[in-house]
Amino acid sequence: MHFAIRYLTEYVYGGSVTDNLNALRVRPATTTSQRCDEFHTRIDPEARVSRYLDYFGTEVLEFGVPTEHERLTIDVRARVTTSDPPDPPEGTWEDLQAEGYLDAAGEFALSWQDQPRIEGLGELEDALRKESPLEAVALLCELIPDRFEYRPGVTYVGSSVSDLLLAGAGVCQDFVHLSLVLLRRHGIAARYVSGYLWAAPQDGGADSMEVDTHAWLEALLPGEGEGAEPVWVGVDPTNRRFAGETHVKVGHGRFYADVPPVKGLYMGHAASQLTAAVTMSRLDPQASARA
Amino acid sequence: MLARIAHELYWLGRNLARAEFTARAVEAVFQAELQAASDRAPGVSFGSEGLLAMLGDPEAQEARRDAMLGNLTLDARRPGSMLASVERAHEEARTVRDVISVEMWEAINTTVLGLRGGEQLGWTAPSGPHLAAQYVRQRMALIWGVAGRTMLRDEAKCFLDAGGLIEVSDMVLRMLRVAMPPAGSTPSDGHALILLRAVGGFHAYLRAVTAPPNAQPVARFLLFERAYPDSVAACVDSLHDVFSSADASPRNSKPVLRVSRLAADLDFQRRALPDGAELAEICERTQHELARIDLDVAERYFAGAAPAHALQGR
Amino acid sequence: MSSPSIAAEVSTYRPKAPFLDELFELDGTPRPVAEPLVRELRRLGVEGLEAAGARRDAVFLQQGITFETSGESGSSHERPFPLDLVPRVLSGQEWREIKQGLAQRIRALNHFVDDVYHAREIVREGLVPWRLVAGCRQFARAVHGIRAPGGVYTHVAGCDLVRHSDGTWKVIEDNVRVPSGISYVLENRAAMARVVPELFAAYRVRPVDHYPQLLLGAMRAVAPSAESEATVVVWTPGPANGAYFEHAFLARQMGVELVEASDLVVRDDVLYMRTTRGLERVHAVYRRLDDDFSDPLEFRPDSLLGVPGLVRAYRAGSVAIANALGTGVADDKAIYCFVPEMIRFYLGEEPILENVKTYLMHDPEVLEHVLARLDQLVVKPTGESGGRGVMIGPHAGEAEIARMRLRLQAEPERWIAQDLVRLSTVPTVDEDGRLVPRHVDLRPFAVFGERIDIVPGGLTRVALEEGSMIVNSSRGGGSKDTWVLEDGDDADRAGPPVADTLPPALPDLRYGGWTGQQQQQQQVLF
Repeated sequence: MHFAIRYLTEYVYGGSVTDNLNALRVRPATTTSQRCDEFHTRIDPEARVSRYLDYFGTEVLEFGVPTEHERLTIDVRARVTTSDPPDPPEGTWEDLQAEGYLDAAGEFALSWQDQPRIEGLGELEDALRKESPLEAVALLCELIPDRFEYRPGVTYVGSSVSDLLLAGAGVCQDFVHLSLVLLRRHGIAARYVSGYLWAAPQDGGADSMEVDTHAWLEALLPGEGEGAEPVWVGVDPTNRRFAGETHVKVGHGRFYADVPPVKGLYMGHAASQLTAAVTMSRLDPQASARA
Repeated sequence: MLARIAHELYWLGRNLARAEFTARAVEAVFQAELQAASDRAPGVSFGSEGLLAMLGDPEAQEARRDAMLGNLTLDARRPGSMLASVERAHEEARTVRDVISVEMWEAINTTVLGLRGGEQLGWTAPSGPHLAAQYVRQRMALIWGVAGRTMLRDEAKCFLDAGGLIEVSDMVLRMLRVAMPPAGSTPSDGHALILLRAVGGFHAYLRAVTAPPNAQPVARFLLFERAYPDSVAACVDSLHDVFSSADASPRNSKPVLRVSRLAADLDFQRRALPDGAELAEICERTQHELARIDLDVAERYFAGAAPAHALQGR
Repeated sequence: MSSPSIAAEVSTYRPKAPFLDELFELDGTPRPVAEPLVRELRRLGVEGLEAAGARRDAVFLQQGITFETSGESGSSHERPFPLDLVPRVLSGQEWREIKQGLAQRIRALNHFVDDVYHAREIVREGLVPWRLVAGCRQFARAVHGIRAPGGVYTHVAGCDLVRHSDGTWKVIEDNVRVPSGISYVLENRAAMARVVPELFAAYRVRPVDHYPQLLLGAMRAVAPSAESEATVVVWTPGPANGAYFEHAFLARQMGVELVEASDLVVRDDVLYMRTTRGLERVHAVYRRLDDDFSDPLEFRPDSLLGVPGLVRAYRAGSVAIANALGTGVADDKAIYCFVPEMIRFYLGEEPILENVKTYLMHDPEVLEHVLARLDQLVVKPTGESGGRGVMIGPHAGEAEIARMRLRLQAEPERWIAQDLVRLSTVPTVDEDGRLVPRHVDLRPFAVFGERIDIVPGGLTRVALEEGSMIVNSSRGGGSKDTWVLEDGDDADRAGPPVADTLPPALPDLRYGGWTGQQQQQQQVLF
């Protein structure tokens, strides 16, 4: 699929602020199943943008506005082509112990947020003891949305897994964090993915829509057979499915804080008001032939 | 004012400053000599021998170093000791008791009593020189502070200050002449912290100069840095100010003209001398010039209080 | 001053077997290096030491070198820094070995920091497990791929050494984040020289007071500045910090600004400080706070002590930070085990200083072994410092051991276990003025700029309680002045020659008055 993405963020401050420093992780990545064709950013007030690849390989755009200002607009536009990934492999639980797997899993198998061990996950953990890691992952996609309600406003960006358990509801970020903990407990390496989701109905009614930044995860599934390479498989527990061509990945990390779309700080006492909007448009010919 | 009184005030200033700088130097040597030389070859040398040379007393040789430091502290018979300088200052203060303020007289009196009683305070013990030196430094700061706050800014104060200033610059030059590495040695690889400690300019140097405290930049700082009150240049500047205001007709006053020439000379050298230039000769010349100023001062203001052959040098 | 009973007192000092005493043989005779010291101590006697102790306290109180201690009633009061007046004496030979060993170790640690944030060669060679590095709390992903100016990361290092009863020196811990204590080394020496100068009489002790200049030189050497004079600052979390005294001390001794976060600002990837004359560029920062608090944009977002954008400036190469961000990965207690391997791998040398035998418990067999011997081992949490959370098996109660067993079984990777080291002792003045053996360690301070310089000696910390081996000052430890003796004969005792042109004698007051003219008037006859 071909998309045009526009991510417009605007901060309005209650007074003038200075030294507004920001880091953006918004550029669609280029992977085996996705290609970023065009990418532009415009900052108002104007600022020099510098780029670098972070530890996890995500492109980071940095800028700072040192002078006094009362509003800040970040306008990001991208064009991206996606395709469905190949079917996930069906390796066995034993394959998780293979050296090749552990090497590829690296730090994504370590129990980052599960320290100290989160209580009250025993039953969910047990439920995932299926025939193969792939089945466990597939079940997870059903289990999480079955148990937890998707309800914005219950949690915030800094919420922990325990907050989700307590509230019984949360957003995609919380669902992913819980899933990561459960998979890692089973020895399946898993990482947090930040990106955009084309959430139009399957019949392709609209060709342009307002969406949000989205989060899902990638699990490292062992390959089938002797010596087969393990594969990172995208899984979206919020939407009960594996990630496909509707998912536009920006980057991954151990958890949310490794790939926040916008992270910033400014100097001044004024409060800020944020409006953010992501608009995705399908550019494929069959979609533009409107019904 | 009376020439005799001006003369006494001038020497009161000199002796107070001398006591203070002797204390600083004794303390610096006391600290430094306990330990071995630093990792890096020291570019400057300032130990017991240097101290004696600085005080113009190189022949005096005590058997033990701590005895020497002790004598320089509390031996009143030894002309260069702290106590002797304070005793002389005390005598002079007694003579001009009606001119200086009551507070200042008391401050000087207390100081001499304190030093005389040093034995009871354990200042003859091995750690004594340090304690006595600390006492002297504190008392001198107090005396000058009291003088500044309680004395009229008149002729009397000018001569008191002039004595202090000329003594400070003389002592700094003496120390530099003794401690600067001889010509031809590599002056850049040493560190001259001890010089700065000996004149109390350690932190001032670190804040004012970015170069590491090697012999050369330290000597330049002590000679030329106008912002540092105890540098030679700053003292000479102030000397010019006090004589200008004390003199009835500064325009044709020999000491004023000479001080003014020396100030200009120092300023020129500061700008003209390349880094690493030989400074020993400048130190010697400057000190010589100060001695001449001292003579001119005696001649013009103290009405022949000094005999004409007093200028000596070795 | 010395009475027979006092002389007897020093001669009855007995080291406590099986520990090695650094000044006395087991039978109570002074070691050769300590003989002059013991003689002077005898001369001082109990009374002399007491008087000197009072002077020392006065000096420290006057200078404000104090510790806050809270009494039982909850009221806090200041007490002078606990410096024991009996110095620890190391021969020049002994020191050379320590110095070489430390320099080697620090060089290897510096290589390691560079390696884990770049090529990870040591991991690819299979010498250090990646999981241990990545799992280390101090592994700073934010500085991945950033090469520190001058290639130096561990500018300031303070490794903790102990002396085993067989006489060998062992490294017990590496500190390459923000090691503290150097100000006490300098202040201790200054106080000793003032309070007990007689003890120095028979020795040539190598001085320590050039440390601030070494540090300043190292900072200037790595500072990325085109001009010859780089602007260096010391960055403190603020006066509320326990080590603020040291921060101020170093800033004053180096003659540089002591800055807090609010003084610093990053503009266009360059670090500035706010001065009365506007922004002034900063080329090198000696920071005295942890990575976590340094830049809220990259580390803890809630840090109010940090400078937003600092990592950007660092990434742009416009500022040197000492120690570099992310060095904590090298002094993690789990990584410690691999330092000898690092030395072999990066330097191709055999380690000069030994490690203490250490057990990593992610291996179930090792864990089993440790659990069986908990009462004989020392257990430490990884990623902590300052003696926090340490359990010393032989000194721990049954309940404490049982609790530790549960914690080890739950999270074996968060702990390491070490063989108990029998720390050496040095005679120390106790509350009654008697000399008693007390355990000590040693933290030498190294500075890495263009080369590695180590100040002779370092901070000797002493456990003031009988039998205790906990030397941390936060837990009631004291300190001693550490003397490294100069080698060679006394020939170099005489200072260099005094300059050849001497100043004239001090002028004296030239009293006026009439001088009699003794000469007869003579007529001149032609």
